[in-house]
Amino acid sequence: MTKLLRCSLIIGCLLIAPNLVAAQVLIVHPANNTTELSRNTLRAIFAMRTPQWPDGSPLQVFVLDDSDSTHTSFCKHILGMFPYQLRRIWDRQVFSGTGTAPITVKTEQEMLERVSTTKGAIGYVLPEKVDDSVKTLGELL
Amino acid sequence: MRYILCLLFFVSITVSADDDGQWLDSLQLHGFASQGLVFTTDNNFYGDSEHGSAAFTELGINASLQLSSKFRVAGQLLSRHAGDMDNGSPRLDYALLDINLISSMKGRLGLYLGRIKNPLGLYNDTRDIAHTRQGVFTSQVIYFDKVRDLTMSADGVHLYGEYILDKGTLLIQAGLGYPIPDENVEITYLGQNWAGSLESNRPAMVGRVMYEHDGGRWIFALSGASLELDFNAGAADAIPIVGVNSGTLEIDYSVLSAQFNGEKWQFTSELAIQKASYIGIGGLFSDADTKPLGFMVEANYKWSPRWQTYIRNELFYLDREDKSGSEFNKQLQALSDSLGGALPVLPAHTRYSRSWIIGTRWDFNKNLMVRADYHFNKGTAYISAAENDMTSVKENWDMFALSLSYRF
Repeated sequence: MTKLLRCSLIIGCLLIAPNLVAAQVLIVHPANNTTELSRNTLRAIFAMRTPQWPDGSPLQVFVLDDSDSTHTSFCKHILGMFPYQLRRIWDRQVFSGTGTAPITVKTEQEMLERVSTTKGAIGYVLPEKVDDSVKTLGELL
Repeated sequence: MRYILCLLFFVSITVSADDDGQWLDSLQLHGFASQGLVFTTDNNFYGDSEHGSAAFTELGINASLQLSSKFRVAGQLLSRHAGDMDNGSPRLDYALLDINLISSMKGRLGLYLGRIKNPLGLYNDTRDIAHTRQGVFTSQVIYFDKVRDLTMSADGVHLYGEYILDKGTLLIQAGLGYPIPDENVEITYLGQNWAGSLESNRPAMVGRVMYEHDGGRWIFALSGASLELDFNAGAADAIPIVGVNSGTLEIDYSVLSAQFNGEKWQFTSELAIQKASYIGIGGLFSDADTKPLGFMVEANYKWSPRWQTYIRNELFYLDREDKSGSEFNKQLQALSDSLGGALPVLPAHTRYSRSWIIGTRWDFNKNLMVRADYHFNKGTAYISAAENDMTSVKENWDMFALSLSYRF
């Protein structure tokens, strides 16, 4: 019985582990005074449906390519969505004229540079890539 | 339309005078190009498909410019060659001013002014962009290509609202606009291209309420349009019994949509209920009011982010109170007999269609994609009289279609 329990525990940990390891960090421009955002607010931001921060300053969204592994796991674990769903929302907006798509950057290094130098910017990187040039957002509400 | 362009120009002048030129950074340009190939065992769809047709080309380019936090302008030029249904001449697909009235972290409210794509079902507003469709063609029983211009866009004003709730997002868009009828609409609803013409003199209502649960894992939508077109008969149209008179064509159109979006599986189902009434047109259409119904259900499986396969079932009845079309055929036959066989009689199967479609899609990269579909069809209701002699079309026919599509 204990053996069975131990086995399930190990398998369980293995299943959960990738989620913990891959947790991306949300980054914003250093002058941003937001501390936390709910998951649904984040979804709206990355769907390009929230044009402004609460203080009225324009919001600028940066993402990595659809096939980038950091993007895929950001969508899955932080937003609870799949890359194709975001793509569908952006495409609907762009090709019907009702909205826009975010700016795609090529690397996480470029993500840091653009977010640190663009007022109102939001993006994400792997935890080990974060540096002092950007501000990180805390736990999800 | 001229007023709208003037308005757009005025707004862009005032805003650019206020700003320090940074708004130009927000310019976004996107476009698409797609080429299809269509082969049918019988009947024509998108050109002379019985001999293989390449008359299926879509090109488009669009721009969006954020002028200030309140104003954005966007427009798209489209050229579409679709057999004898569309000759590819470029047109303004949409051109609008987006006014953001209220915006917060809880949602936003705004207005679109200008030529606006009609929000019908899950796909109408982006039906011409191959990458956003569910197959080589949009579902023909929900989004009929033979009357696409009618439902495509309209010149008017829409109010939109997006509300971020705890578990999902509610999206609402509704408004008034003048629909854009063309001769395909006339051929479809009035049987042929008469000397007279259909005119759009009154604004149509259109609207959609969409709820995206859990980031769009589940999507539910209810949309509808209600429009009236005036038919001004020409002198040559006033033939007794089999002619047409001036009158009004009323169309009510509702679409119910549901979709599940999983990591591998996607399930979609849409139901379209229509009502077409002929008022004062008389002649052949004195007792022609119909209640069309279209239904589709589709399962899509993603083998990988690049490769997916889908299977779809579609059915369409031009009149849900005469599903087999036999009543219609009988009446037409009786009328023809009373005229000494002078009237061509359309077969019963021109009143319905049922199809099974299997297809696959491969994305080479995020810009380039290829698709292949095979359609098993019974009935001919969704093909166009602009491309076929409807008295001699075949009831059972298959179609194979391929497309290569690029977008940026």
